[in-house]
Amino acid sequence: MTVLEQTRAPRSDVRPRRSPLGSRWTPYLFLAPAAVFIGLFQAVPLAQEIYLSFTRTSLLNPTRSTWVGLENYAHIFSDDDFHRTLVTTLIYVVACVIGSVGAGLLVALLLNRNFRGRGVARALVTVPWAAPGIAVALIATWMLNPQYGIVNRFLDAVGLGVPGGAILDSSTYALPAILVTTVWQLFPLTSVVLLSALQAVPRDLTEAATMDGAGRWWTFRAVTWQVIKPTVGLLALLMTIWSIRRFELIWLMTKGGPVGSTETLVIDLYAQAFDSKQLGTAAAIGMVGVVISLIVIAGSRLVTRAADKEGLR
Amino acid sequence: MSRLRLGLTLRIVAVLVVMGVAVFPLYWMFVTALSSNSDLFASEARLLPDFTQFGVFADALAEGETLTWLRNSLVIALGTTALSIGLGIPLGYALSRFSFRGKALTTVALLLTQMLPEALMVVPLFALFNRFDLLDTLSGLILANAAFVLPIVALILKGAIDGIPRELEEAGRVDGARPLTMLVRINVPLIGPSIAAAAVIAFFHAWNEYVFAVTFIYAPEMQPASVGIASFIGEVGTPVQTVMAVAFMFTLPAVAFYLFAQKYVVAGMTAGAVKG
Repeated sequence: MTVLEQTRAPRSDVRPRRSPLGSRWTPYLFLAPAAVFIGLFQAVPLAQEIYLSFTRTSLLNPTRSTWVGLENYAHIFSDDDFHRTLVTTLIYVVACVIGSVGAGLLVALLLNRNFRGRGVARALVTVPWAAPGIAVALIATWMLNPQYGIVNRFLDAVGLGVPGGAILDSSTYALPAILVTTVWQLFPLTSVVLLSALQAVPRDLTEAATMDGAGRWWTFRAVTWQVIKPTVGLLALLMTIWSIRRFELIWLMTKGGPVGSTETLVIDLYAQAFDSKQLGTAAAIGMVGVVISLIVIAGSRLVTRAADKEGLR
Repeated sequence: MSRLRLGLTLRIVAVLVVMGVAVFPLYWMFVTALSSNSDLFASEARLLPDFTQFGVFADALAEGETLTWLRNSLVIALGTTALSIGLGIPLGYALSRFSFRGKALTTVALLLTQMLPEALMVVPLFALFNRFDLLDTLSGLILANAAFVLPIVALILKGAIDGIPRELEEAGRVDGARPLTMLVRINVPLIGPSIAAAAVIAFFHAWNEYVFAVTFIYAPEMQPASVGIASFIGEVGTPVQTVMAVAFMFTLPAVAFYLFAQKYVVAGMTAGAVKG
């Protein structure tokens, strides 16, 4: 009898009146408000954009769209301007990632020592990241002002002045200027994150290596780099995705000009939608950006997995 | 020994240079705001602020819409913070404490929202807001901003709840407390710092947001400061000093708050957004 009761006991647990964490619907109740919200304001618009990218739709009459299949994609991929946009995006993203992660690593290594005022230094280094993008675009534009900008005064003083000083009006110098501004805004984040990753580097190991007469570079590569490598990878991924979607800094500094020299995918998409009023083309450009981001994310997953397997061997 | 000295000196110089580079643009904003016209357009740049010009901040506040802009930004930012925290806490709790079908998918979906450009979503959201009469309203901007920042907020809060031992809930379970009670009574008080960090991130996401604001708002009295300040770029009517003074007052709260909450924000960002 008792045995029977015991074997039955679990069965009655299958539908408890109140299980430890409520019924099996409980998680969905917690999830539902946010899911509905994100669905309505992210998933539905995304689905609409995917649909739009296969249609010809004008901003002036957005409710009337004509299904054109892959025409928008065929159009942009045969367009030389779009090829230039892709190349500009590639240059911008790669330079942003290398610049922000590289500068962040240098600063992190610099601050990863005990010295007086380290706390103040760490706090001040965070400032660019905290500054609103709008304000950054505004002050950068003023600092780069051809006549009164401090940057030109400085460059002139050291003999590197750009003729006429119109850096943002030059198809050669506008992109580098935007890059420097972007990296200035991003390096605090990468350096602070890398600084916390560096705390995991075993001190005695680096010290032992130095004692054994290993050079600094060798110690960095053999010890420090091995510890922070995953963090560097994650930061590079995050910086890539953010840089592909960055809009306001570029838009406010150059609007993609001069002659398209700073036009990234997102700038192109915005201009197509609101200047050319071609919502279908704009959506197709946006989808190209989204697909590139997806490929980057999937690629980084593969690399991480391969690296993990390597480590297990 | 002298080589060691040299290395130390170089390091100190490098640290000072980095600090200078980090702070200079905002310092320059301040100096420009506090410049007389003659200094501003002189052939030699004046590198120090001229404090006799301090009235420029009062002028900037008195001028036109500055206060309205800042007030609108504040309303949008507070609304976005409340909404995203309010929805983010239960979402983070569900992801942290339960295993359920679709959990992995939910997490991946939250991470993937990080790659969607606002500029792409502007058009469909415009159509949606048009249908529900949300154009030209601050509530519309609050909804759009909260949707974009909610995934980060939820991931940060999930990370925080992960760090709280489940045993603390056991006691509540024995007492027959419902999950909602346990969330509110046990978890929320313990993740206070992370909630603060997420709130700072949500607040300044909305404070700084530009694309939605410039597209969805027409009425000048509804404009937030981001749109107002951006309208100064390339415009020549307003004195540079006033422009910089407004921009500085817009920037200062963001920087001050980040410095104040830096520790938690960085911990939250690294735990939630970066680690995933």
